Amino acid sequence: MIRQLEEHGDHRAARIVASLPTGRDDVLDPHAVDRLLVGVHTELQRLSEELRIGERLVHLLGPLLAAVRAAATPARPLRLVDVGCGLGYLIRWLAATHALGPDVELIGVDLDAALVGEAARLARAEGLHCRFVHGNAFDLPEAATVYVSTGVLHHFRGPALAEFFRAQASSPALAFCHYDIAATRLAPVGAWAFHRARMRHPLGRHDGVVSALRAHSDEALLRAAAAPGIRPLLYEPRGMSNPFCTTLRPVLGIRPHLEAPLRRALGRASRRLVGPEQLAEVVR
Amino acid sequence: MTPAAPLVTLGLVDAAFSGFRAYAGRDARIRKRAAIVRSALRGLAVGAVLLLAPAVTAGTVLLTADDPALAYAALAAGGAGYLRPLAVYATTVVLSLAAYFVLPFRVSTLAMVVGLGPLTLLRPLAIVAACLGALLNGGGFTSLLVGSVAGGAVLCVEPIVHRRWYASVVH
Ligand SMILES: C[S@@+](CC[C@H](N)C(=O)[O-])C[C@H]1O[C@@H](n2cnc3c(N)ncnc32)[C@H](O)[C@@H]1O
Repeated sequence: MIRQLEEHGDHRAARIVASLPTGRDDVLDPHAVDRLLVGVHTELQRLSEELRIGERLVHLLGPLLAAVRAAATPARPLRLVDVGCGLGYLIRWLAATHALGPDVELIGVDLDAALVGEAARLARAEGLHCRFVHGNAFDLPEAATVYVSTGVLHHFRGPALAEFFRAQASSPALAFCHYDIAATRLAPVGAWAFHRARMRHPLGRHDGVVSALRAHSDEALLRAAAAPGIRPLLYEPRGMSNPFCTTLRPVLGIRPHLEAPLRRALGRASRRLVGPEQLAEVVR
Repeated sequence: MTPAAPLVTLGLVDAAFSGFRAYAGRDARIRKRAAIVRSALRGLAVGAVLLLAPAVTAGTVLLTADDPALAYAALAAGGAGYLRPLAVYATTVVLSLAAYFVLPFRVSTLAMVVGLGPLTLLRPLAIVAACLGALLNGGGFTSLLVGSVAGGAVLCVEPIVHRRWYASVVH
């Protein structure tokens, strides 16, 4: 693994991995890796708290769910699934604040079993009504009314990004809304400073900068989200938002009949919601 | 008025914030007000003990001086010079905090990203500026000594609280 990282030219990552404890045969100690991941994700949650990710999401998801409720009589309860939920901060915050209403079931899915286990334990410890499931974003174990995620899209490279959206588009879901780091020139510098100030472990600090460097552009996101039966939209694209105020912004995919009610529910904020045809103008 | 009272107050408030920072990122629960208050009190307690170091240093300077009145005047001048950059820093922090808590999430993100985050990184620089202020205001070597000890003490609160109480994730 260290050789692979070195071959990719990521010497810092190689050094971080080399410093982790190994068992026999030079294999990383799985318990130490789990502990490290839980530790780094706990630090990561601090960033979500400080950047008020929950409120940012509700600002858009509230109107989106209002549009869903208004447009048809969807199956109840509505179900929100957070893909790549990590420690499930977003889902647990939504459960604790009841911000989306009592008719929304809250579920988190993540590929990492240790994180899912810890998310479930944390939810139980605080008596929160939500669930966490171990599963893969490309073969989602839970059906949803709306799929969301935060800070996950930059993990998916090449054709995987469009494949991720396509899987949700071909499910019965009515919408998806995935937040990721806004790809601006400032992002890597900002991520460096902010992760340095707020995270302790070198893994978290390094990942913060690498993630900002890998963030997908607005155009790439809209292109990838254009799946059959889906209207791709971007909220607060570059050129329409101050990069210091919007560090994470979402790409949405909604069933076309939801666009009008969503825009109505958003009111004035709907100016910030653009499709591929408007994005070209914004950037110009 | 001697600058001692505002300096001690600043030091203690800073210690409480350091206690919070030592804890932040170690507790993934959602409701944690009590734990936050506890961490601030831990910072305050550690800070109160550590701030004895500059107090003792200043006391020693005064007791061993040939001319205590002159030594006192130098320390007072140095303290006033030390206070000025810190007052600017503290005002910026207070304004950023107010913006963070009061304003809607977009502006609050701005306050965090360009205010509170970088301000944490700038803490050692604020201490250096304060020491320079002490020198420039005619505080002399003794003020520099007391100021450096105080700066060191204040910067030590966060790592000590972190190592003592928050070395691993809170359960
Ligand atoms: C940067 S973290 C973000 C975690 C959390 N959403 C947050 O905002 O703090 C990315 C998460 O995506 C998960 N992940 C990556 N690939 C995945 C996949 N194919 N399926 C499900 N989860 C995945 C990782 O396990 C990790 O927890």
